[in-house]
Amino acid sequence: MNAASTPLDAPALGARPGFAEVAAEQLDAVYRYLVYLTGDRGAAEDLAAETFEKAFRSWRRFDPRRGSPRTWLCKIARSVAIDWFRAETRRRKREDRYARDLSASEDFGDGLPGPLQEALHALSPAEREVVALRVLLELDGPSAARVLGISQTACSTRLSRALRRLEERMDDVRE
Amino acid sequence: MSANELTVESLLRAHAPHAPEGLRARVLEGAPVAQTRLGLPPRRLALVALPVACGLGVAAALVHGVVRSGDHANSSAQGGAGVAASVTTAESLHSFDSARAAVKQHGSASSAAAGALAIASSRLAHTDASLQIRVGDTDALSAATTRATRIATSLGGYAKSVQYSSPQTGGGAATIDLRVPAQNVKVAIARLSGLGTIVSQQLSVADLQDRFKTQSAQIAQLHRRVAALLKAIADSSLPEAQRVLLRIQLAEAKRAVAQRTNARQGTLAAGATARIELVIGTEKAIVPVSHRGRLDRMLHSAVGFLALEAMIALYVLIVVSPLALAAALVWLWRRRSVDRLLAA
Repeated sequence: MNAASTPLDAPALGARPGFAEVAAEQLDAVYRYLVYLTGDRGAAEDLAAETFEKAFRSWRRFDPRRGSPRTWLCKIARSVAIDWFRAETRRRKREDRYARDLSASEDFGDGLPGPLQEALHALSPAEREVVALRVLLELDGPSAARVLGISQTACSTRLSRALRRLEERMDDVRE
Repeated sequence: MSANELTVESLLRAHAPHAPEGLRARVLEGAPVAQTRLGLPPRRLALVALPVACGLGVAAALVHGVVRSGDHANSSAQGGAGVAASVTTAESLHSFDSARAAVKQHGSASSAAAGALAIASSRLAHTDASLQIRVGDTDALSAATTRATRIATSLGGYAKSVQYSSPQTGGGAATIDLRVPAQNVKVAIARLSGLGTIVSQQLSVADLQDRFKTQSAQIAQLHRRVAALLKAIADSSLPEAQRVLLRIQLAEAKRAVAQRTNARQGTLAAGATARIELVIGTEKAIVPVSHRGRLDRMLHSAVGFLALEAMIALYVLIVVSPLALAAALVWLWRRRSVDRLLAA
């Protein structure tokens, strides 16, 4: 399923889709977001499953009038990922590994050019997640800001900086 | 946005990762086809609950006001339910035919409250009365105080306590706690009312007949039990161990009889004696209480109840505020720690 074809707009007022339908539609988007945020496909897979489990348990609290299912799911995914980051940090401290060591073969996208792959590696998780939300998942400014829990201005600034860094990094790699 | 950024974005989109089939199967397996949502989301619930709670608070205050304003006009003159009754001067004149009849009978407006004491004479009841009387000056105050104690004594009662104060600046007041035999309470109130100008009167009558009957029945039952135990103990064929047990029960029963008898005597004493609290003051010391209509009393009670609710809400707020502040600080700290985690 292509992100561009995935419906993003909130359902019609009062309409509430079924959970299975939403899960089928948004699975790719959530997975992509988690891959970019964690930089780890294996972890992203587990976290995506956990995200949908949590979403299923709290499905009755979702109000389609307040936002799209994608935004709501991304918020849950972010919360799950942050718990994972905390657990990873504690684990690495225990194992005396303070440097985050991404595998060189870690893929952010199927067939993504090498320079861009490396450029993505160089970004921080915070920068990658805003790129994932705005570029891959095509969330609008307010929705992305809501997922990140920051203002729209801060979200736009973070995105511009991330894209600029990607571009600069790609130029460096090409050179 | 630069052309390079456009290129980056289009590349990212074109090569976006897809969820593996294993993950898809895992997720969709656990997802139900349809799920209905019950109830309102928490925020909407809070928006609905808050006005409803406020409305209930105001309604409770109004009900409290109505009930309290009605209590002042009630009197259990027949004493059927054993409920205490209160009568004030103004209401007694308007509310009770018996009070009006008593007023005509006694021929004095000042005895209207006394006339409302229409509990049947065959029932045991305790009367509590309070009178506030105004006199002209400290000389009259002194004379009235002396006469009040004499009135109580002449009717077979006594003054339990007298507090008298007459400051240099003028004015003065005396508070006298009188006890009179119950059968003479009406006469006592009527005579005391004549000591000066009545500022306020209050009467309450508590029926004690039911309590007395219950206590008497308990005592009779205990006497029967004692008789039965004595008869059982006198049986020569009774094993010694059992005899000891019965003696213990007999001792307990006798103790219970003594306790109930004391309690009943207390009830009789309460019914035999009425209490009258008399406050005599000069013009400076005593300010007349304005009599309110029912609506006025209702509003006054309702406002008082609302004030009580507001105090409780404020108290809860004061208690909860530090916790809310601590929760906010924790939230802020967690937010900062997330930012640090993701910026690494």
